[in-house]
Amino acid sequence: MDFPDRFDVIVIGGGHAGTEAAAAAARMGAKTLLLTQNIETIGQMSCNPAIGGIGKSHLVAEIDALDGVMGQATDQAGIHFRVLNASKGPAVRATRAQADRALYKNAVRNILEHQPNLSLFQQSVVDLVVEDEKVVGCETEMGLVFRAQSVVLTTGTFLGGRIHIGHEQHPGGRAGDAPANALAARLRALPFRVGRLKTGTPPRIDGRSVDFSELEHQPGDDPRPVMSQLSRRDVHPRQVHCHITYTNEQTHQIIHDNLAQSAMYSGNIEGVGPRYCPSIEDKVVRFADKPSHQIFIEPEGLNTTELYPNGISTSLPFAVQLQFVRSMVGFTNAHISRPGYAIEYDYFDPRDLQHSLETKALEGLFFAGQINGTTGYEEAGAQGLLAGINAACRAQGKDPWEPRRDEAYIGVMVDDLIHLGTTEPYRMFTSRAAFRLRLRQDNADQRLMEQGMALGLIGPQRQAAYAAKMQALQQTAAQLVKTQVFPASDLAQALGLELRRETTLQECLKRPEISAEDIAKALHMPADEEVAFKALQQFEIETKYAGYIKRQDEEIEKIRRHEGLRIPSDLNFTQIDGLSNELRQNSITTDQIPWPEQRAFRE
Amino acid sequence: MTASDTDLICAIATPPGEGGVGVIRLSGRGAKTLAQTFVRYELQSRQAQYSRFVADGEVLDDGIVIWFASPNSYTGEDVVELQGHGGPIVQQNLLQALCARGARLARPGEFSERAFLNGKLDLVQAEAVADLIAAKSKLAAKAARSSLQGIFSAQVAGLAARLLNLRVEIEAAIDFPDEDIEILQQAQVRQKLAGLSEDVHTLLRQAEQGRRLSQGLTVALLGEPNVGKSSLLNALAGEEAAIVTAIPGTTRDLLKVDVVIDGMPLRLVDTAGLRESDDAVEQIGIERARQQIYSADRVAVVLAATDLADANDSTLANCIARARAQLGAAADSLSADALHIVINKIDLHEPTLPSVEQSETRLSLVSATEQRGLQEFVAALVNHQSADAEAANFTARARHVQALTRVGSLLQQAQQALGDQAGPELVAEDCQLAHQTLGEIVGTISPDDLLGEIFSSFCIGK
Repeated sequence: MDFPDRFDVIVIGGGHAGTEAAAAAARMGAKTLLLTQNIETIGQMSCNPAIGGIGKSHLVAEIDALDGVMGQATDQAGIHFRVLNASKGPAVRATRAQADRALYKNAVRNILEHQPNLSLFQQSVVDLVVEDEKVVGCETEMGLVFRAQSVVLTTGTFLGGRIHIGHEQHPGGRAGDAPANALAARLRALPFRVGRLKTGTPPRIDGRSVDFSELEHQPGDDPRPVMSQLSRRDVHPRQVHCHITYTNEQTHQIIHDNLAQSAMYSGNIEGVGPRYCPSIEDKVVRFADKPSHQIFIEPEGLNTTELYPNGISTSLPFAVQLQFVRSMVGFTNAHISRPGYAIEYDYFDPRDLQHSLETKALEGLFFAGQINGTTGYEEAGAQGLLAGINAACRAQGKDPWEPRRDEAYIGVMVDDLIHLGTTEPYRMFTSRAAFRLRLRQDNADQRLMEQGMALGLIGPQRQAAYAAKMQALQQTAAQLVKTQVFPASDLAQALGLELRRETTLQECLKRPEISAEDIAKALHMPADEEVAFKALQQFEIETKYAGYIKRQDEEIEKIRRHEGLRIPSDLNFTQIDGLSNELRQNSITTDQIPWPEQRAFRE
Repeated sequence: MTASDTDLICAIATPPGEGGVGVIRLSGRGAKTLAQTFVRYELQSRQAQYSRFVADGEVLDDGIVIWFASPNSYTGEDVVELQGHGGPIVQQNLLQALCARGARLARPGEFSERAFLNGKLDLVQAEAVADLIAAKSKLAAKAARSSLQGIFSAQVAGLAARLLNLRVEIEAAIDFPDEDIEILQQAQVRQKLAGLSEDVHTLLRQAEQGRRLSQGLTVALLGEPNVGKSSLLNALAGEEAAIVTAIPGTTRDLLKVDVVIDGMPLRLVDTAGLRESDDAVEQIGIERARQQIYSADRVAVVLAATDLADANDSTLANCIARARAQLGAAADSLSADALHIVINKIDLHEPTLPSVEQSETRLSLVSATEQRGLQEFVAALVNHQSADAEAANFTARARHVQALTRVGSLLQQAQQALGDQAGPELVAEDCQLAHQTLGEIVGTISPDDLLGEIFSSFCIGK
């Protein structure tokens, strides 16, 4: 039967991409339906219980700047927060949180259930409804047809998912959940290039069987960072420690002796795994001279004893897993509560997507998340946000939102994906962003908020917070520019400066030895003036990076001069000198040319 | 781009006009099949075969035909060379017959372009082909051949590889601070940066010299009136290019002559003698002469041996001081190694040879009228740093020199940032741009390539 209500946007999948997509479309006022196999697993963290990290928390900050779900949910569920790269510069500092799985799921579901314009429905989708080469809806297991202007597919690892433990294998989308095989078969019939990827998880350990006295403790940071610009520390639940142990030569020997039984080493897996997240088998083989590897033990939550030992993902048989886990310090009597496994799944070549994440082959169909060959909650969430926005734009007759590489990590990721594709699960790193110094956590709102407001994405609370921040920033800038510092004055002495002639506070801040904290102290800024102090810190960043940012601006300007030049569709690319063959085969605009090749245009 | 994707192009490869042999080159998909229809024997790759060239039963020419099977050919595609007789009509007929059967005329440089696109040549090498063809002198041709063989590319690639290694360390420290990997300490980074910086500088000097090789060295002859600048120019040019008289101030404007001496292209600039003058025209000439101090690669100040009567006068230090005094304020911008002292008229007065003194400024003794010491003078001009002379035997274009200069200054900034404790992301920023700039000479690497290096160097992943 046809479902009586028509929607603007349907999102298939309730993971991190799906939830951001559905929430974003609904925030923009689009009538949105989220279809999931199981409402109970909305917001489920299938891999390790952590959000953020280098490059990744930058994505969370961008999602947050556009009023998305992930940052706030992390603050409500985070049980251990750290700032990574704290000793390095602000552009590469990142926030990382361990999350309580149950709290995280609750927080996401709570946000979705309070989101106007959004409905949830539990049912497996088996087919897309295609009319005139446009996707106009989808059909569920029970034959129910939902219709919409745009459909966003965020099916993660569930398409053709296959789980491997040793030589055993069975279909599965995640341990305990069935794969979406009917939909996978249907999609394989459509004109998309399909590939296989794999990823793995470690065995989970029951904390009651671990001797913590033998482990290194890692407490969270104090002061504790927050993930969302809107959050305050007091929304955080109780905080706990993480722990560290190490593999040893005995561990490596056990793994080495049993390599033939590993799914990955016996040739059962055709998919390619991520180079930055190798299985323990891979580590032992590829870095044979390393006697030990660090294992980071993450708590699964406040109300569970389960632990996630990050660093020993494996597809060895269970008996071998047990043996090597128990060879490690603190794990001598460890009880494995869930075996580790490798999972293989279908992904669609993202080069078949437009910048908006709409497929080139079928109008109205958008892909986001692991289906595009990425990995990670943050990468999925950021794509979901983009696809949700553009699905709503399509339904509302607006131009798509296409953030550029110099504006957002989301722009870097999409640009990489649609131009270069990927051969391994794609993960964000700051080194992927050529304009890294501009793309910081602290200015994500300044980079994106105004575009978000124009799209109708941003709620009143966040708009108000942004306005307050911008006002504080302006005041700070004005104050520092006009405040003069005279030689031997109180201010100069408070800053510890021996000046030869008068200068301004802004000039002082340019010196490497003067920090925002020094200025705050010298000005006797009250400690509780959080907004003003943050503004001061941000002004410091902008002052210290100014020369580099200016140089980047010049680079960007060179590129933009060629950007957006529409190339006539009847132009014969084969007659243009110096273009790669791949470019010749496509009708393109200059801004669709991948980054390295744009340089050729600038000469 | 693969060979099979490209259409068939043909062109006459030998110079236009009549010659003993005329070569027509055919490249692209189906080159062999098409050529096969013209010849009698089954073509064998890389074998010279004699045949008549026949089209529609008509014998167009006869000669040697060689098929180079892809990818072992100049362009990397299937290439056939028809080496027939070098007559314009014969060759045109053959070309027309080829074009009538599916080939098209190649654009200028298209064979090299394909070689570049197929990875047979890198950008530097492709440019070297053009230099080789256009080389005006033996030395320049030899240098172009060196570049073609990738000497310059190899040096730049070597620098790029070392910079990549360094970036791997810096970026790994930024993107993977939580991994227990051993990365370089700051002192080591500093040391590596300094080493790279120095080698970029060395290569830059060589590239600069290479650029002069291909484009010619500009040598300005300056000095007081009647010291024999014009005579020297004529002696070097081997012709009466400049009017030489005994009347001081004969040369009133710049006179430029291009010569090739011992395989080295030189642009000689004769200038008005430097003196106080009331003559408006002469004043302009003197001003132009002084401008040469800024624009020439070498400034040769000519002194007359007859003015150096005293043994003290002919010490190098004294000559340099005298020369710089003549040049005036502009001399301040002139580096010691760009300045050259020429003592002319040694036939009239044999000066006491200056004792060996340490200076980057060279001194030559010549007699323009008796043509003595000229070769030594030119050699000294060209191989200023004789140690570099051999290594410098590759061509470089202004583009390469510019890029290397930028790389040098970026590496300098990186060292500065490191010294200021400015944060690794700023050191990384300079290194990234430096790497990109090197890439503009020999080809870029993507962030993903960089990450690939990180993953293969370190065990990343918890």
